Amino acid sequence: MQFNPCMKHKLIRSTARHFAETELAPIAAEIDQHRIFPREVIEKMRPLHYFGLQAPKEYGGAALDSISAAIVVEELSRVCAAVGLCVTVHNGVAVYPFLQFASSSQKEKYLPKLASGEVIGAFSLTEANAGSDAGSVETTAVKSGSDYVLNGTKIFVTNGGVCDVALIFALTSSPENRLQSSVFIVESGLPGFLRGELEDLCGMRANPVSSLFLEDCRVPQENLLGHLGDGMKIGLATLDNGRIGVAAQALGIAQGAMEAAVKYAKERQQFKKPIASQQTIQNYIADMATEIMAARLLLYRACELKDAGQPFGCEASMAKLYCSSVASKVTSVAVQIHGGYGYSKEYDVERYFRDAKVTEIYEGTSEIQRVVIARAILSSPIL
Amino acid sequence: MLKIAVCVKQVPMVTELPWDEKTGTLRRDLAAGMMNPACKHALEAALQIKEEMGADVTVLTMGPPAAEEVLREALALGADRGVLVCDKMLAGSDTYATSAVLAAAISRQVAEVDLILCGAYTSDSETAQVGPQLAEELNLPAAAYAERLDISGRTLKVRRLVDKFRETLEMEFPALVTISMERYKPRYAPFEGLEAAFCRGQMTVVGAADLGLTQSLLCEKGSRTKVRRVFIRKAQKENVKITGAAAGAVSEFLDRYQRKIGAVIGKSIELKKRANDPAGTDE
Repeated sequence: MQFNPCMKHKLIRSTARHFAETELAPIAAEIDQHRIFPREVIEKMRPLHYFGLQAPKEYGGAALDSISAAIVVEELSRVCAAVGLCVTVHNGVAVYPFLQFASSSQKEKYLPKLASGEVIGAFSLTEANAGSDAGSVETTAVKSGSDYVLNGTKIFVTNGGVCDVALIFALTSSPENRLQSSVFIVESGLPGFLRGELEDLCGMRANPVSSLFLEDCRVPQENLLGHLGDGMKIGLATLDNGRIGVAAQALGIAQGAMEAAVKYAKERQQFKKPIASQQTIQNYIADMATEIMAARLLLYRACELKDAGQPFGCEASMAKLYCSSVASKVTSVAVQIHGGYGYSKEYDVERYFRDAKVTEIYEGTSEIQRVVIARAILSSPIL
Repeated sequence: MLKIAVCVKQVPMVTELPWDEKTGTLRRDLAAGMMNPACKHALEAALQIKEEMGADVTVLTMGPPAAEEVLREALALGADRGVLVCDKMLAGSDTYATSAVLAAAISRQVAEVDLILCGAYTSDSETAQVGPQLAEELNLPAAAYAERLDISGRTLKVRRLVDKFRETLEMEFPALVTISMERYKPRYAPFEGLEAAFCRGQMTVVGAADLGLTQSLLCEKGSRTKVRRVFIRKAQKENVKITGAAAGAVSEFLDRYQRKIGAVIGKSIELKKRANDPAGTDE
């Protein structure tokens, strides 16, 4: 086990940081305020493999290890969490299930376009009555000839407003007429695939989160991902992986907020000296730095397990739970250090504060992460 | 095929440039390293030539083991091989010694080099000396601060901006050119390239002895620059209050600051005196 970053990870970080600071930093506040998806920047990211971070080279991906991929998401989110979200959802819960569960012809057809970012992916599980209770999906897929006909509404779909391919979880009938969940690859151009208005959210506002409506949407049966009834299996495996991405995103937000707070604490003069010289502020900074470091080590451990081919679901949940909690706490303290200015849109910490909260909610709430962790601990013979 | 050698340097990130105030030296151990911006432009020029007409690009640097990072980055961007000159004996080299070492490295590692490209200057010391000194060491024609290169056969046309005029020089290969930061905007490294640079990038590490550089030769060629003192220029914010009637206050403000503001925005805002100007803006 290595605790110091290797040269490759340092270079991946500085490369992603340079890109984020050059391309995203100047626009991050504006695209947040006006809910703009930065298509020009996304175009620049495509040839650099931001959309195929871990896809194999034969599909045009970068085939990065999981720590490298996490570092990229961290660095994007350190500057602009909404773009970090677009990238991590695309890679973590759209490309990943293709790699794990798609047939070779599905891989041939979709992976090159997904890995190049020509096609943006989305993962559509959540519905009005199916959130933490992922088994309560009500969208249906009924066999009709060689197609499935999909009907239902998906909500809070990250990348929903711009996705070209969505993985839709829907109920299908087993040969014994039991209802079970299955996953379909649905292209946005199909008749009956409709997008809702963009959500007006508290944070991550530059990401086009929307509803998706399926109205008698005919999907060819070869677009079934995995086997009939594999929905829960695909969903859980994909979310394990997605949680690493959200943890990385939360960590990046926390890092950005801490850096902003440290900079401000050194500059801001009160009582004729920088507020950084006050022990209270120093305590805040010490706690932020310690918790961020601990969160990073927890995250990279989950990444290492994943790359070693070992089970990583519990560690991914721990990383997601802890990183998102640290992000919420650190961004709140960063606002506190900024005082009144931190509550103003003039300073980035206000945006970080809003962006951090949702990392405790999506890809499994903190409460669900605790369910996953407790279940793993209670069922393990070795603690 | 054209053989290009690009000399690059790892420098501390400017925003993370911690100084040791007591010794006046850079705390390189604390600062994250990056490829010097002008060197990146020089590499970009080499890569564009490679794309246009084909070329074999070798990137060289002298530095500590960590300087390998900038060579890996160069490989990711499209260079063919990297050469790291790394030896404790070379620590503390000034520009004179550095150019002698780089000359030895190019002579030994890049046979029959046609074109040597360097960044015009580095962001950490800004002497702009290594390129021209390297040309002297290798007895090559050289041009500094080039903004554009055009190659036709064995002839190189160099366009450069000097003071307030633009000149075009012509020289035969082999030659050395230092590149300014106007035209050759560096590309971003793709992640696939970064991964490949570490998996299968071609990298050679050489020490002083490998280059035929002995202690005595290094002493003879050794650093002639003696740093007497290093100090940090302090920038201090100051609040200035101008009181009185509006017209007078504006006039006083302009008197004091219009030249400074003009320098910052790159445009004169100095007002011509108007005969009946009650504010008396007299410049």
